[in-house]
Amino acid sequence: MYVYLPIAEMPVHVPLFLALGGMIGFLSGLFGVGGGFLLTPLMIFLGIPPAVAVGTSAAHIVATSVSGAMTQYRRNNVDLKMGAVMLSGGVVGTVIGVEAVRLLRKAGVFDVTVSLTYMVFLGVVGTLMMIESLNTWRHARATGSAKTRGSGQHSFVDGLPFKMRFKRSKLYISAIPPIIIGMFVGFMAAIMGVGGGFFIIPAMIYLLRMPTSVVVGTSLFQILFVAALATLLQAIQNKSVDVVLALLLIIGGVIGAQLGTLAARRLHGEALRGLLAILVLLVAMRMGYDLVAAPSELYNFGPFQVGR
Amino acid sequence: MMRAAQLSLSGIGLALAIAISLPVAMAGGGGQALPPETIEADVSARSVSVEADFTGTEIVVFGTVENSRQPSAEAGTYDIIIVVEGTSVPHVMRRKSNIGGIWINTKSVRFASLPSYYAIASTRPIADITDGPVLTQHEIGLDYVRMVQSGGGRTQPTDAAELEEFRKAVVRLKQRDGLYVQSDYAVAFVGRSLFRTTIKVPPNVPIGALKAKVYLFREGVLLGEYASEVALARVGIERFLHDFAHRNGVWYGLGVVLFAVGAGLASSFAFRRD
Repeated sequence: MYVYLPIAEMPVHVPLFLALGGMIGFLSGLFGVGGGFLLTPLMIFLGIPPAVAVGTSAAHIVATSVSGAMTQYRRNNVDLKMGAVMLSGGVVGTVIGVEAVRLLRKAGVFDVTVSLTYMVFLGVVGTLMMIESLNTWRHARATGSAKTRGSGQHSFVDGLPFKMRFKRSKLYISAIPPIIIGMFVGFMAAIMGVGGGFFIIPAMIYLLRMPTSVVVGTSLFQILFVAALATLLQAIQNKSVDVVLALLLIIGGVIGAQLGTLAARRLHGEALRGLLAILVLLVAMRMGYDLVAAPSELYNFGPFQVGR
Repeated sequence: MMRAAQLSLSGIGLALAIAISLPVAMAGGGGQALPPETIEADVSARSVSVEADFTGTEIVVFGTVENSRQPSAEAGTYDIIIVVEGTSVPHVMRRKSNIGGIWINTKSVRFASLPSYYAIASTRPIADITDGPVLTQHEIGLDYVRMVQSGGGRTQPTDAAELEEFRKAVVRLKQRDGLYVQSDYAVAFVGRSLFRTTIKVPPNVPIGALKAKVYLFREGVLLGEYASEVALARVGIERFLHDFAHRNGVWYGLGVVLFAVGAGLASSFAFRRD
C-alpha cells in the first residue's frame, strides 16, 4: 500500500498518512485549530522534506477548516464581520511572512528561526492557557459554577479608535486589534506552516473578549482563508505543495474533522482548553529539546535549488 | 527467477562460443601471446518508469570477459567493479555548533555537483582489487566520489581537514539514506567469462539518468571498462502532476485549494444531520 509522491519524490505508506490526516482532522474539529502545528513536525518526522511538509500542511488545513467552518456556520457560530476584518490583516501578514521566509533562507537561519518561534509561541500560549484553565477549574470547584465573563471588565482595547459594531459577538470595539491579530496570524502561517489557531483563539478570548460560542467558528473562518492563500503562494513560489500527499491527508482529515466536531459537543470548554494547552506545551517542549540537546549528527543537508 | 534462469542460459551459450573461438585465436597468434581480454556489458533495463506505484527498482548489470583466461568461475583471475551513479545535483552541507546553549547551523559547504546516488558492487573489497591512484583517477569507491565544490559562501571553511570532514559527512548521510551503497563480493562470475550483479535502486533516488560503469581488473591492472545508461523517468500521472506543478504553479495551486475546499464541503454535507 505505497504510493509515489510526484513533488516530494518518495513513496509513502497510504494507511499511515490517512491515519495521520484523520488524527489531525479530529483535533482540528475538537479544538477549532488547524492542527498545522502538529502536522508539519509529524510529517517531517516521517521523512517528508520540510518545505513540502509546510506547503502541503497548508492544503490540509484548508480542507479541515472548510468542513469545520461549514458546520459552525450552520450552527450560526461564525461572526462573519469579525472574520472579514481579521482577514484583511491576515492577507497583509501572509505576504510579509512569505518575503521574510525568503530573506531568512538566504541568510541560512530559517530552520533555527522556525524552531525558536515554535518553542517561544507555543510555550507562552500553552502556559497561559494552562494557567487559565486550572484557575477556572479551581474556581468552579470552589463555587460550584464556572466563572463567567463580567460585563464591567475593561482593557486597553476599549480605548482605541475606529470602533465597529460586531453584532454576532455582541461587541463594539476598535477594528485595530482584530486587524493586528489577523496580520500576526498571517505572518505565522507563512513562517511556521500553521493556521495559527493556537494563537488566534486565546487572542479572541482574552484580548477581544469575544463570546466563547463564536470563537471556534470565527477562527476557523479566518484560518480557512489564510491557509488557502498560503497554499497558493507556496505552490507558486516554492513548488512545494504535493497534491497526492494532500489527497491522502485530506481524505483522512475531513472525516476526522467531522468526528472531532461531534466530540467537541460532549466535552466542556474548560476541559477542552486544558487538553489543548497540554498538547501545545508538549510540542513546545519537543522543539526546545531539539534546540538544546546535543545532536547525534552535527551535519545536515540544506535545501538546494534544483536546476531547471 | 525467470531473469536469472535466462541469464545463466545465455551464459552457457557465451561460454560455448568462447570455447569454440579460443583455439582459432590461439592458432592465429602462433600460440605465444594470448589475445588481450576485453569487456562487454549491459544493463537489464534501459529505462525505468516512475509511476504511482514506484517503490524502487532492481537493475541487473551483466557482462562478459572476452578472451577469458580464467579456468573456472571460482578462480578469481579477474576482478569486476560496477558503479551505478545517479544524476549529479547541487547540494549544501551544513554543520551545527553550539552557540549559547542552542545548536545552530554555523558552517556550510556548497557543492556545485555531486552524485545524488552512488552504488558500487565488486567481486571483493575494492582496496584489495587495486591501489589508490587508480581508484582516484576513475573516481571508484565512496572515498573517491566526485564532489565539485562551488566557491562563495560566507560560512565556507577554508581549512583542508575541515573540508575533508564535510566530504565524509556527505558520504555518511547519503549512506544513512540508502543512497550511497557499497557492496563487496556482490559481483559473481557465472562460468569462466560471464559475470552479473543486482543493484538495488531505492525509491528515494532523485529522478534522472543513472550511469552504469563496469571495470575489469586483473592483478590490479585496469584492462577495460564499459559504460551504459539507464533512463529513470516519470511517466503517466506522476509525470503530468510534476510537470504541471512546475510549469503552471498558479493553476496547480488553485487546483489544490479548490480540491481541498471541495473535499471539505463534501464531507460537511455527507455528515449533515440537521
